[in-house]
Amino acid sequence: MDDIEATIIQNKHIVSNYYTLKLRLSKSMGRVLPGQFVMLKIPGNEVFLRRPFSIYAYSNNTLTLMYRVVGKGTEILSKCPKNERTLVLGPLGNAFHIRKTDKYIVVAGGIGIAGVHTLIKRLGKKASIFYGCTNKEELSLINDMLHLNPMVSTLDGSCGFEGNVIALLGGYIESTKGEDRQIFVCGPAGMVRNLQKLIEKDRTPCQALVEERMACGLGLCFGCVIKTIDEKEPYKRACKEGPVFDLWEILL
Amino acid sequence: MGNLTVEFFEKTMRNPVMNASGTLGYGKEIESLWGIETLGAYVTKGLSAEPHHGNPTPRVWEERNGMINSIGLQNIGVDRFFDEYFPYFKKRKTPVIVNFFGFTEEEYLACAAKIKPDPFIVALEMNLSCPNIKKGGISFGKEPGAVFEIVKHVKGVTKIPLVAKLTPEVRNIVEIAQAAHEGGADGLTLINTMPAAVVDVKSRNIPIRGGLSGPILKPIALRAVYECSKAVPIPIIGAGGIMNTEDAISFFMAGARAIQIGTATFVDPYAIPKIIRGIGEYLDAHGCSGIGDIVGIARD
Ligand SMILES: Cc1cc2nc3c(=O)[nH]c(=O)nc-3n(C[C@H](O)[C@H](O)[C@H](O)COP(=O)(O)OP(=O)(O)OC[C@H]3O[C@@H](n4cnc5c(N)ncnc54)[C@H](O)[C@@H]3O)c2cc1C
Ligand SMILES: Cc1cc2nc3c(=O)[nH]c(=O)nc-3n(C[C@H](O)[C@H](O)[C@H](O)COP(=O)(O)O)c2cc1C
Ligand code: FES
Repeated sequence: MDDIEATIIQNKHIVSNYYTLKLRLSKSMGRVLPGQFVMLKIPGNEVFLRRPFSIYAYSNNTLTLMYRVVGKGTEILSKCPKNERTLVLGPLGNAFHIRKTDKYIVVAGGIGIAGVHTLIKRLGKKASIFYGCTNKEELSLINDMLHLNPMVSTLDGSCGFEGNVIALLGGYIESTKGEDRQIFVCGPAGMVRNLQKLIEKDRTPCQALVEERMACGLGLCFGCVIKTIDEKEPYKRACKEGPVFDLWEILL
Repeated sequence: MGNLTVEFFEKTMRNPVMNASGTLGYGKEIESLWGIETLGAYVTKGLSAEPHHGNPTPRVWEERNGMINSIGLQNIGVDRFFDEYFPYFKKRKTPVIVNFFGFTEEEYLACAAKIKPDPFIVALEMNLSCPNIKKGGISFGKEPGAVFEIVKHVKGVTKIPLVAKLTPEVRNIVEIAQAAHEGGADGLTLINTMPAAVVDVKSRNIPIRGGLSGPILKPIALRAVYECSKAVPIPIIGAGGIMNTEDAISFFMAGARAIQIGTATFVDPYAIPKIIRGIGEYLDAHGCSGIGDIVGIARD
């Protein structure tokens, strides 16, 4: 892990407010685990704190991030030209733990796909993928995993199941009852909460990648905490003890 | 490189640069980037007699040229710090300044009394920005009389040198500095964060109220350091918006004998080692034999 100089080699608009950013790093980031993230310096002087982004892909000193424009930092980022230089601190945080089981279920919503992308690559055909987004167009975010036959839902019903992805997942959870399953989830808090409700009875093993506002990404500031069931020390750092938590240990 | 060594309360520090409390975790977290012994002294995260859970999120917010935090003084308690973390600093021969707080005078006294003198403890740093829950939540550091009292009482329970860390949100910080000095403080840290808030126009909410830190604080801190160093004879540690070597040098020139770096570490995790190197280079380039050559040389 280090703070590494990086050069933008591609900053591509995908669909609506989603982009991918490809960076050439001046040296290796070392081993990258599924679920880990980086703190990216936003080029220029307009914002000064780094922004956390999941590692979407990494190989041979080339780092890819997928991001959604939601505020000032990502807005500036979306306008950064090729060859612009920046800094990448990482890889940071813990990782998804892949234990041996019969069924791996990966659930993602919207930009949450970025957080589970390396995990899906690792699991390959072993993963059952559930992806929810707003409309048909946004499904281009999962173009590279169509061969894994993802189950999709769109809020407007323009493709796949109409509604939210947890409702879609419900049937599958029912039909695989009794099997040894491991769920991985990354998406908006509301979605993760709905998932928690869906599998509450069986308490199916589930790991969730959570998002919190961060300042340092290194465990220095205690700004990024998430509340857990630990009564002695309820607040755990998403950047250090996370971003991946056991779904049954966090209070959303 | 020139000699950066400084004497603080009869203890030797490699250099006059520390982290600001609460901005370098429990110390260990930075070890994959640089060694803790790089610091002149490590300043602990704010500790209390009993552990505190801290505030719900959001706890951090970026503002133009600054950030607001509302961590709520989450900490594992002073006992666990000394059991689990203090040996790490001793092993690495890194002096420690123990930042501590309380929500009542009794809590300050209980915490200070628990800390035993040690060759590696340079000082206790008492955070006076805390709300006094027995006085309707007004902070301990607001009134000269209250500052005098609490400093005096803490001095009564510890033999370790005591540094009072002042809040800038006061009528006259020089008066507060004088009160702390008269109460027996051996040094001052200037300044803590400034109370601030954010309004989200879209949702019409106030998502965070907390302490403002970062570049925006620098001129306020410099004035406090300058005026207080003229008014009291005890050493002053400067903090507030130090982002680079030039900022650091300006604090020494204003009268600080040491400096603390906080928010800069979030922007650049190597800010502290870079600034230490930068100070050395500055002293060399200007033919100074030590930091003492530039402390307080700035004139109106
Ligand atoms: C571990 C982790 C992984 C993430 N991975 C991705 C990813 O792969 N792709 C992606 O598009 N986004 C990701 N995010 C969210 C992303 O960090 C925010 O959308 C981004 O920081 C917003 O910055 P902004 O300046 O545009 O927004 P602003 O709202 O203007 O940002 C202001 C501050 O809020 C913080 N912030 C705002 N929204 C979030 C959020 N949802 N999560 C965390 N911090 C936030 C920013 O970091 C910044 O400090 C991730 C967040 C975390 C914690
Ligand atoms: C995240 C964060 C946590 C802090 N925690 C403490 C604390 O526990 N005790 C304290 O005295 N000051 C605390 N401070 C204040 C800093 O020590 C410092 O006085 C202030 O941030 C100004 O310096 P800076 O602008 O370099 O950050 C904290 C500041 C930040 C940003
Ligand atoms: S972002 Fe600072 S501790 Fe997690």
